[in-house]
Amino acid sequence: MDCKQAVREMHEFLDGTLTGPKAAALKEHMLSCPDCRLVFQQLETTDALVKSMPRPSAPDDLTDRIMGALPQSRKKASWLQWVKRHPAISVASVFLLVMVSSFLSLWNEDTQMTVKGANLDQLVIKGDTVYLPAGHKVNGDLMVKRGKIQVDGELNGNLIVIDGTYALASTAKISGETRVIDQALQWLWFEMNEMVGGLAK
Amino acid sequence: MNYVETRLAKLARTGDRRAFAELVDLYKDKMYHLAYRMLGQSHEAEDIVQETFLRVYTNLDRYDVNQKFSTWIYRIATNLCIDRLRKRKPNYSLDAEMPEGEGADWYSLLASDQPSPESEVMLSETQEHIRRAIDSLPDKYKSVVILRYLQDLSLQEIGDVLDMPVTTVKTRVHRGREFLRKKLESEYGGKVFETK
Repeated sequence: MDCKQAVREMHEFLDGTLTGPKAAALKEHMLSCPDCRLVFQQLETTDALVKSMPRPSAPDDLTDRIMGALPQSRKKASWLQWVKRHPAISVASVFLLVMVSSFLSLWNEDTQMTVKGANLDQLVIKGDTVYLPAGHKVNGDLMVKRGKIQVDGELNGNLIVIDGTYALASTAKISGETRVIDQALQWLWFEMNEMVGGLAK
Repeated sequence: MNYVETRLAKLARTGDRRAFAELVDLYKDKMYHLAYRMLGQSHEAEDIVQETFLRVYTNLDRYDVNQKFSTWIYRIATNLCIDRLRKRKPNYSLDAEMPEGEGADWYSLLASDQPSPESEVMLSETQEHIRRAIDSLPDKYKSVVILRYLQDLSLQEIGDVLDMPVTTVKTRVHRGREFLRKKLESEYGGKVFETK
């Protein structure tokens, strides 16, 4: 064993990772080499001295200061972190919320009667009631919002009544289906379908 | 793993401040001691300890419960200390020799007008030598030596804290030990060793 290797093994020994035979070989070398003996003694003392350094403890009021410096609520922080971690979902849900609430407020504010259809000249409107008199004929869909409709004539399409009522006379002929929409959400669904349908066209 | 710290960390995560205060009590002295030895200053050490716990608190959600809590908090504190050392490095180096110095360095200046960081703990002359030797360790050995000798972490734990292979930790412990030995021998002519 040369001195260079001996120094390496000394460190292993001080780490506590030098096994039996190797430790014996190191000891043998040191017995015959005063320089290595000195180095080893110095290393061992260095270890002991460093380990014996006093361990100052933190000031007594440090815990209070640390706790006082913490942000107020962790609950809020974790909620914010969720938002930060899912930006797409967060933006989408805010967007949806705004959409739905604007639709709902429209639903509640809009009290005027609306009539939509192809041949509006065939209709008679009196107050809040729309009449499709007998002998008159409407081609295409007819939609009445927030009003009553009395059908005596012929409708060549669907009849859609939103937030209102309808009455059919015995002479009435409706080739399509009749739908009544009176829930805000149903209406929302209908509007969205209209929108998508409009875009598709 | 069912360490007390891990349970406390989980509780603290749900907003339990008392659980967090217990974590602070368990670790503040260790963190203070670590920062104190790394930076050699009680004021900066307090700063680092506060910052460490603040980071622990705000990042509790990111704490992996399969990991030892101690490894995690040591990592945060060590990184903060290393950053702090790195930042103040360009300003002055205590090891730099004075322009016309005969072996005199900044220590000899500091010693006279600035109270020693350990003023609250009376150090023997030998301990003062050791303190200066630790202070003068290059940063990469300093953190390893402090974690090994003053915090009693195993080589494996140090590897986890510093994110380096155990073989590297081992090499640095050896070099750090060698550095300290040479420093003490050359600066104090071996008289430190004779006292033992």
